[in-house]
Amino acid sequence: MNERMRTRGALVALAAVVMLGCGRGTQPSQEAAPGVTPGASAPAATAAAVTDYPRPAKPSKQYRIGISIPHLSNPHYVGQAYGYIDEAQNLGAHVTLLEAGGYEHLDKQISQIEDLVASKVDAIILAAISGPGTIGAVENAVAAGIPVINVNVMTDSDKVVTRIRSDDDVIGRMQADFMGERLKGAGNVVMLRGAPGTSWAEIRGNAFKQQMAAKYPSVKILGEQYSQSTPTDGLRLMEDFLQTFPQISGVYNGADSTAVGAAQAVKSAGKAGSVVMTATDFQLDTEKFIREGVISASVLQQPVTMGRWGVRAAISYLEKKPVPPVMFTALMTATKDNLDRLDLSAVRAPAGWTPPVR
Amino acid sequence: MPAVIVGLAIVFGSINPNFWSATNLANVSRQMSILALLSLGQTFAILSGGIDLSVGSLLALVSVVCAQQMKAYGLVAGMAAGVLVGGLAGLVNGVIIAKGRVPPFIATLGMLVAARGAALTLSGGLPIAGLPREFLVLGAGYIGPFPIPTVIAAVAFVLAHVILSRTRFGRYVYAMGSNEEAAVLSGINVGGYKMLVYVASGLFAGVAGVILTARVISGQPTLGEVQELYSIAAVVIGGGRISGGVGGIGTTLMGVLILGILGNGLNLVQVSSYIQNIVIGAIIVGAVYIDLARERRR
Repeated sequence: MNERMRTRGALVALAAVVMLGCGRGTQPSQEAAPGVTPGASAPAATAAAVTDYPRPAKPSKQYRIGISIPHLSNPHYVGQAYGYIDEAQNLGAHVTLLEAGGYEHLDKQISQIEDLVASKVDAIILAAISGPGTIGAVENAVAAGIPVINVNVMTDSDKVVTRIRSDDDVIGRMQADFMGERLKGAGNVVMLRGAPGTSWAEIRGNAFKQQMAAKYPSVKILGEQYSQSTPTDGLRLMEDFLQTFPQISGVYNGADSTAVGAAQAVKSAGKAGSVVMTATDFQLDTEKFIREGVISASVLQQPVTMGRWGVRAAISYLEKKPVPPVMFTALMTATKDNLDRLDLSAVRAPAGWTPPVR
Repeated sequence: MPAVIVGLAIVFGSINPNFWSATNLANVSRQMSILALLSLGQTFAILSGGIDLSVGSLLALVSVVCAQQMKAYGLVAGMAAGVLVGGLAGLVNGVIIAKGRVPPFIATLGMLVAARGAALTLSGGLPIAGLPREFLVLGAGYIGPFPIPTVIAAVAFVLAHVILSRTRFGRYVYAMGSNEEAAVLSGINVGGYKMLVYVASGLFAGVAGVILTARVISGQPTLGEVQELYSIAAVVIGGGRISGGVGGIGTTLMGVLILGILGNGLNLVQVSSYIQNIVIGAIIVGAVYIDLARERRR
C-alpha cells in the first residue's frame, strides 16, 4: 500500500541516520534564503531528504493557509499545531486549523479539505488520516489550484508539493535495536502498531519487524494489533495480550498514545521493568512511565519543527521559490538516563499553550 | 423550518461570501448526499414506528465489500456488491424484527456492532487501496453543474417521496407507525412490510456506502462512526416524530439541509469544531422542542 513511501524512506534512510545521535535538531534559523539543498530536485533515487529547512523571508502578502490534522487529543498534535501557528505569525500568514476528531473520521477530514478549497485558502497543509483515503480530496484541491503540503502522516497522492515527516523507517529500526539489545537478542515481543492505514503505523511497524528479523532473529514476534491511537485501546489490547501470551518480554508501540495505556496494563500485571517497552513520542504520561521504569525508551519526534517547516514550505511555494520534495525532521531517544537533559522545545508546545481550534 | 434554512444561509453568506460560491454550493450538497441517503432509509424506519441504528456501521461494511469485490471483479461488480450487501444486512434486520419479534432498537443495535465487526474482519482492520481511478468520478464528478452524489441523492429523494405518498407500501408505513395494532387488525401484512422497510433502509445505506467509498477511493472499515445518530437527528429536526407515523421525505430533507448547511457554514465562518458540536446538539433538541410546543398550542 505504501510501497512508494517505503521505498523512498529506505533510500533516504542513510541521510537520516546521520542525523541520529545529534540529539536535538536544528534551531529555526533567521536566514532569509529558503533552505534548499543542492540536488533536492533531482530524482528520488538520488535525492537525499532535506534535514534542515531555515525560515524564508517574510512575504509582503498575508497568505491564508488551511491546515487539516487528524486530531488534537494528544500532545504530539498540539505541539504540531503550535509549530504551525507560531511560524505563521513569524511569516505574517493567517491560519485556519481544522481537526477531524480522530483517525476514525476520514469522511470528516475529506469534508474539511473540501471546505478549505471552497473558502479559497492559498495553500493547504495536510496530516492525512488515511494514505489511500485522501487521494481524491488532495487531487481536487490541486485541481482547484491550491497547493497541498503533506506533513507527518502521508497521503498516497503524488500531487503534493513536499512531504515533511520523521523518517518513520528509522523510528521502527531504532525501537528494534533498543529492544534487541535490552533483550540480549532473545525474547517474545508483541506489537501495538497504531492507527490502521496511516503511513506511520505501516512504515514504523514494518521496519521494526524487518530489523528484528535481520539483526535479532531469536526475538520472536508473537502478535501484532492495529487500533485507534488512544490509551484506552492500548490498555485493552495489552491486557488481552498479557492473558494470551504470559511469556511476553517486549512491547513495541507505533505511538505513545497506545503505549501509555499498555504501560498501565503491564504495571497492573506486576511486570513493570521485566517487560521492555518502546514507544514513539513524549506525552507527559510517557515521561512519567519512563521515569518509573515501565516504558524503557521512546523515540522522540519533533512535531513543532514539522509544523514550522510545513508553513515555511507553503510560503516558499506561494512565493515561487523551490521547495525540496522530501524533508525529515530530527529524532532522539529518551530513556531513564537522559530524561532530564532533553531539549523539548521542538517536541512539545510551551506549557499552558492551547491551540485555537477551528 | 425553511425560514431557518434561509436565515442560516443568509448569515453564513454575509460573513463569508464564499458560502454562495458555486464551488461551495456544490461542495455542501456533495457532503450532504451521504447523510441524505442514510436519512431516507431512517425516515422509512422511524415512520413505521421503528428505528435503524445500523446504517452508520453499514457504511463501513458496504465500503469494505465494495472495495474487495471491485478489486476482484471490476467496477460494476464492486458497486453492485456494495448496494447488495447493504440490502442484505437490511433484510437480516427485517427478519429479526418481523419474524423474531425483537424490538428494532435492539435488532439494529446488534447489527451496528456486528456490521462493524464484519467490516474489520473482512479487511483485517486495514484500508483496501488500489481501486480503479475511474471510480473517483462517482464521488467527485459532475453532471452539468451538479455533483454526481448530489444527483443520486436527489433522485433517491424523489423515488422515496413517490414510494411513501403514491404506493400502498408507503401508506402502510404510515399506518404501522401511527397505530400498529390497528394496522394488524385492518389486515395489513405488518411483518412483510416491516421487512421491506429495513431492506429499503439497508439499500439506501448501500448506495451511500458505495458513494463514500468512491469519495475516499478505498475500502475503509472505520467509516460512518455515529452517522446513524446524525441520520436520526436529520429525521426529527425536520419535524418527523421519533415514535413514528408523522413526517415524511419533505421534513427529512429540511433536517438534512439544516445539518449540512450548519456543518459547512460553521467551518466557513471559522467556528471551532468543538463549538460546532455544541451548536448542533442544541439545535437537535431545540428544533424538536419548538415543534412539540407548536403542536401543543394547536
